Amino acid sequence: MGRKILFITTDQMRYDAIGANGGRVARTPVIDSLAAEGINYDRAQPQNVVCMPSRATMVTGQNIGTHGVWMNGVPLPIDAPSVAAVLGDSGYKTALIGKSHFEPLLDPFLRFEENRQGFAGQTEGHRGFDHMELATHGAVGFTHYSKWIRDNHPETIGGFFQVLNGNLEVSDVAGGDTGAPQVKVNPIERDWYHTDWVANRTIAWLDALDASDDWFCWMSFPDPHHPWDPPESEKHRVNWRDLDLPEGYPQDAATREAIIDSKPRHWRLWYDGELVGNYEAPAKWVPATLTPEQILEVNALVHVENELIDEAIGRVLQAIAARGWSDDLDVVFTTDHGEFQGDFGFLFKGPYHVDSLMRLPLIWRPAPSAGGGVDAVTRVSQPVGLINLAPTFCAIAGVDVPEWMEGTPLPIDDADAHARGFERVLTEWDSRQPDGTAMHLRSITRDGMVCTMYRPGTVHDGTEGELYDLANDPLMHVNLWEDPARRSLRDELLLDLADNFVEPIEMRHAQAPV
Amino acid sequence: MATLRTFARIQRSADDVWKVVGDPSRIIEWFPGLVSVAVEDGVRTLTTKSGLPIVENIVTLDHDMRRFQYSITGPIPVNYHLGTMDVIDDGQPGCLLMYSTEITPEPMAFVLDGVISEGIANLAHMLNEHNEEQR
Repeated sequence: MGRKILFITTDQMRYDAIGANGGRVARTPVIDSLAAEGINYDRAQPQNVVCMPSRATMVTGQNIGTHGVWMNGVPLPIDAPSVAAVLGDSGYKTALIGKSHFEPLLDPFLRFEENRQGFAGQTEGHRGFDHMELATHGAVGFTHYSKWIRDNHPETIGGFFQVLNGNLEVSDVAGGDTGAPQVKVNPIERDWYHTDWVANRTIAWLDALDASDDWFCWMSFPDPHHPWDPPESEKHRVNWRDLDLPEGYPQDAATREAIIDSKPRHWRLWYDGELVGNYEAPAKWVPATLTPEQILEVNALVHVENELIDEAIGRVLQAIAARGWSDDLDVVFTTDHGEFQGDFGFLFKGPYHVDSLMRLPLIWRPAPSAGGGVDAVTRVSQPVGLINLAPTFCAIAGVDVPEWMEGTPLPIDDADAHARGFERVLTEWDSRQPDGTAMHLRSITRDGMVCTMYRPGTVHDGTEGELYDLANDPLMHVNLWEDPARRSLRDELLLDLADNFVEPIEMRHAQAPV
Repeated sequence: MATLRTFARIQRSADDVWKVVGDPSRIIEWFPGLVSVAVEDGVRTLTTKSGLPIVENIVTLDHDMRRFQYSITGPIPVNYHLGTMDVIDDGQPGCLLMYSTEITPEPMAFVLDGVISEGIANLAHMLNEHNEEQR
C-alpha cells in the first residue's frame, strides 16, 4: 500500500485566517494541528488571484500561460493534463468533492462537462478524477450540491444570498446588522450548508473504498468566499462587535486614501466606484462607502465559516482514522487566492497584487509512516507557488513528475528550498471585461520584495507599477516603484520576472463571465 | 451595449447554406445545448439542455438578401438583443457566414460569444462534411 493524499482547499482564504498563521479569532485547532505536525509555508502564492486560473494551475502543475486559463470564464481545455490522471494511471482512486471551477459556472446551454454531470446527478468525473461531486457558493447553478438542495431541501434556496441580479451583474444587496454588501442571514440548517455537505460526501466516498486502496481526494470547500451567508445558527460563534479592525485597514480616511493614491490608478478608480476591474466584485458597490462596522461584520462571518471548515476537516480526519489510514495519510491544505476583508478599505478581490490576495495558507502534513508527523515541524520562508502542488502529489505517490508539469515538488524546509532554487514566485493577472476594460499585471516576489509591473491596457500605459519591501512594510502601504534609491533593485526584479515569465500560447475567449 | 461578431467560410454555395440558416427551425441541428425548437407566428422558442426556455421574435427573414435577424425577448435577463446572420456570396470559393450580436446586459455577451462560436463551428463542420459526402 502507498500513501493516501487528502488535498484540502478553501476558496478565498487569507494567510492569517488560521491560528497557525497568527489568526486570533477563528478557532482552527484541526488545521493548526496539521501545521504543528507538518510543514507550514510562510510565503505561498497563487499564480493568479481568481479562481479558475488558480485552480487550473493546481490541477495541471502548469503556469497560466501554458494551461491558458488566463481569466475567469476561460475553460480549462477538456484534454488538459491533470495530476489526477497521473495518479489514476499509477493505481490511485481519485475524487474531487466540492468546488472545481475548471469550467465556467454560468452555463445555461450545459456546454461544460462538470455542469452536465451536476445537472444530471452523475458522478463519474473527468479530468482523471474517477468521481466528482461538485458544489459552489450557494444553491443555484448546475452543481451536485445545488441539485441535492433542490431535490431535498428546496425551501432553503431563498435563504442563500442571490449573487446575480436581473442584469447578470454581481449584486451588492446589503444585509446583516451593518448593511454590508453580500451579507445575508441564512436560516439553513448547518448540516445542509455546503461546508458540511462537502465533508459528508467526502466521507461517503472514502467509506466506499477498499481498505487496501491508495487514494487521492481533493476536498474543496467553497467558503469563505463571498457571499457571506453562513448558517444563522452558527453566527453566535463570533460577535462582530467584539472584533478589532484589521491591521491592514487605515481608519483615518485621509491616510487610507493617500495610500491608495500612491498605487496605480485603478486602485483609486475602484475605491471611488468608477471602475470595477473584476466581474466578481459587485458592479455597483463603491468601496469608499465601506464602514468599519461593515468590515467587522464581514470578518466575523468569515471567521464563522472558517471554524465550520475546520470542524468539517476534523470529521473527515476522524473518518480516515477509523479506516486505519492515518499513518499513511498526507494532508495538504491551502486555498486558491486571498480576500481583502477590509484591507485598504476594500472587500472582495481583483487586479491587486498585495498580500491580502496573494499570501496564502499552505500546510503539508506528510504521512507519519513516511517520516512526517511530529518530527517534521518546519516553517518554510522561501517563496513557493500553487504550481508546486501537482508535482508534490506525484512525489508523495512515488510517481515521476511528468515533463508537462512546470513546477517541482514543494521543499521540505528552507535548506531544501535553497538547494533546489526556490527563490521567486510569479503571479499574474489578465482581464478583459465586457465593457472592454483590460488590465495586465505581472508580479514577482523574491528576496522579501514584491514587484508588480503593469503592461499597457485600457487603464494603464505601461509605466505604472508597485514595489514593496515586505520586511519593513508588511502591510504594503509604501509603494517604492518611483523611489530612485530602489531603481536598480526594481530593474533587477523586472529582469528576473521577464526571464522567468511564461508567455501565453494563445488567449482563448472567455465563455462566461465566471 | 456589447457587440459580437463571428464568421466562418463554408465550402458550400450561399444557397446551400441559406437552406439551413434561413430555416429558423433548423437551429437545433447545429446550435449547441438545445433540446427543442418551435417556430410559430414569428416567434421561435428554444429549450436548452438545462431546461431554460428562450423566446425569440423573428425580426427579419429575407431570402433575397439571405439575412436572418432575431431578438431574444425572454425569459433570460436580456434588456436588448439583436442577432443577425448573413450568408454572403462574396465571389470567393464557398460563401461567408457572418453572425453578429448586439446585447445588453453586457455580461450576457460572454455567454453568447462562446456558444455562438461553437455553433458556427458546428454549422461549418456539418455543411463541409456533407459537402465531402457529396463529392
